[in-house]
Amino acid sequence: MIITKDLTKKFVSYKKEEGMKGAFNSFFKREAVEKFAVDHFDLNIEQGEIIGLLGPNGAGKTTLMKMLTGIIVPSSGTVEIAGHSPWKREKDFRKKIALVMGQKSQLWWDIPSIDSFKLLQKYYEIPDARYNEKINMMGELLNVKDLFHVHVRKLSLGERMKLELMASLLHDPQVLFLDEPTIGLDLVAQENIRQFLKDYHAQHNTTIVLTSHYMADVQALCPHLVLISGGKKSYDGSLEKFENILGHKKSVYFTFNQCIDKTDDFWKTQDVLFSENCDEVELKLDDHEIREVSAAILNKFPVVDFHTEKMPIEKVMKKIMENPEILSGV
Amino acid sequence: MKLFSETKHYLSVYRKFISTSVSEATSFRTSFILMIFMDIFFFLSAILTVDFIYDHVATIGSWKRPQLMFFISFMLTVDHLHMLLLSHNFWRFSDDLKSGNLDFTLLRPLSSIFIVFFRYFKPSSIPNSFISTGTLIYFGMQNGFGPTQWILLPFLVILAFILLALLEFIISCAMFWLVEGLGINFLRMQMQQLSRWPDFIYGYFTKKLLTFGVPVLLIGSGPVHFLLDINNWPYLLGMIVSCIGCFYFLIFLWNRGLNHYDSASS
Repeated sequence: MIITKDLTKKFVSYKKEEGMKGAFNSFFKREAVEKFAVDHFDLNIEQGEIIGLLGPNGAGKTTLMKMLTGIIVPSSGTVEIAGHSPWKREKDFRKKIALVMGQKSQLWWDIPSIDSFKLLQKYYEIPDARYNEKINMMGELLNVKDLFHVHVRKLSLGERMKLELMASLLHDPQVLFLDEPTIGLDLVAQENIRQFLKDYHAQHNTTIVLTSHYMADVQALCPHLVLISGGKKSYDGSLEKFENILGHKKSVYFTFNQCIDKTDDFWKTQDVLFSENCDEVELKLDDHEIREVSAAILNKFPVVDFHTEKMPIEKVMKKIMENPEILSGV
Repeated sequence: MKLFSETKHYLSVYRKFISTSVSEATSFRTSFILMIFMDIFFFLSAILTVDFIYDHVATIGSWKRPQLMFFISFMLTVDHLHMLLLSHNFWRFSDDLKSGNLDFTLLRPLSSIFIVFFRYFKPSSIPNSFISTGTLIYFGMQNGFGPTQWILLPFLVILAFILLALLEFIISCAMFWLVEGLGINFLRMQMQQLSRWPDFIYGYFTKKLLTFGVPVLLIGSGPVHFLLDINNWPYLLGMIVSCIGCFYFLIFLWNRGLNHYDSASS
């Protein structure tokens, strides 16, 4: 469905010196700075897949999205999406894709969203019956029917984002690009959007490319991850494999009601990390050890709380951003 | 058949542009009413200024009052169409380029030129339609127009509007490279100013340049010369050739501009 080969985008920007003198100097002589936002990027996404495109700020995720959607033209390399080259901007191609950007709105700000939907219906030549069916179906799923006649500028970010999603899906795109769709949303709104996307994907088998800084989005939706760093691909594989980059052991955390004895023989056989106050420990355990070791700790120490790591992906991402070399062996 | 369905598609989208523009404009009622009065004031002041000048002189160049007043009415009618259908869009285009909001326009399955320049309709200019059409007919009658001129008049107004629009679209393409559109928009408005005066006020070389190089004088002076004397048909030919040339140049420049567009970062 999506194939890129050696995809590269180079941007040229200009350095501007500070202050009045700097402005004057820069007016006559500017220093050009070339930057590879995306650098020889290869990607292969099958139809119906959901992939998470991860990377730190400025890694090139949005630039990649914009090249895939045909908004900007690559400096070199090729892209093929559903049999089309995006930057030829063929009508058929544009009917097959949709883009949601968490930080930009496609809805018209000063009119109710229903007017924007009607305009989109005309853009995409959606028959009335299909349009009404989709509006009702998505309106109910997202619980936003009451908001259709409210001016967009009066809506909360969460409400607007649900309507943005609706706007993008009205024409039944084959490929949906989501650029940080949950950014700035509260936890409930994030969860609603995730659940909606999950259900929508299950029903329509739409290919989805998602970027997000919220690992909960990625963990909930994306079995396939691609990591981009400095414009280059540094990981392309399953979520499970990604979570195990730091090792197969799981982290298990115990909290005690008092400081415990660090020198106790029990700890000598464990891979353990103590908190500063000695009232918390983090143990690295293999799956088969968790039950036995946990029972022993519960018996021996004054445990008040214990849990396993909720999102190993978050930890892996943090470690990779601190030390990208980790990926060199993957 | 394909042309018919494409035209139908574009017209249905344009109907929605109009209805959403009306919906947006009427969201701010006082501003909407103020804009109506402002447009009418602009129109009347332009007409009355020239009328006042003719109270003190018999001719300007080779034209007497009815001829020049017809020319002014013709230009104001073209200008009115420009205000009604296009004016907002040039300013929005510049903002959209800078903010990256052009991204969504490029995703739509229609010509991006159409969406960029026809997206916003200015409903507050509608009342002016009656005044501009009224003055155009009045001064046409003062010039003793026959049936041929009356039949040609609406087509020439539309052709002049198309030429003005194409020239302004071409100038606006520079925004892809300059990004900051303020200077370009002022340049565009200065070009309009040049076309608002009859061609005989310009010197020989300036007139040639503004007729054959950047054909702004064909917007108003061309069709009015033709209407006042049908033997001046080369003006009509010049307008048609200019429109065709400008159209192809616009397509070339627009595509180059889109390739250069790098979209503001998110």
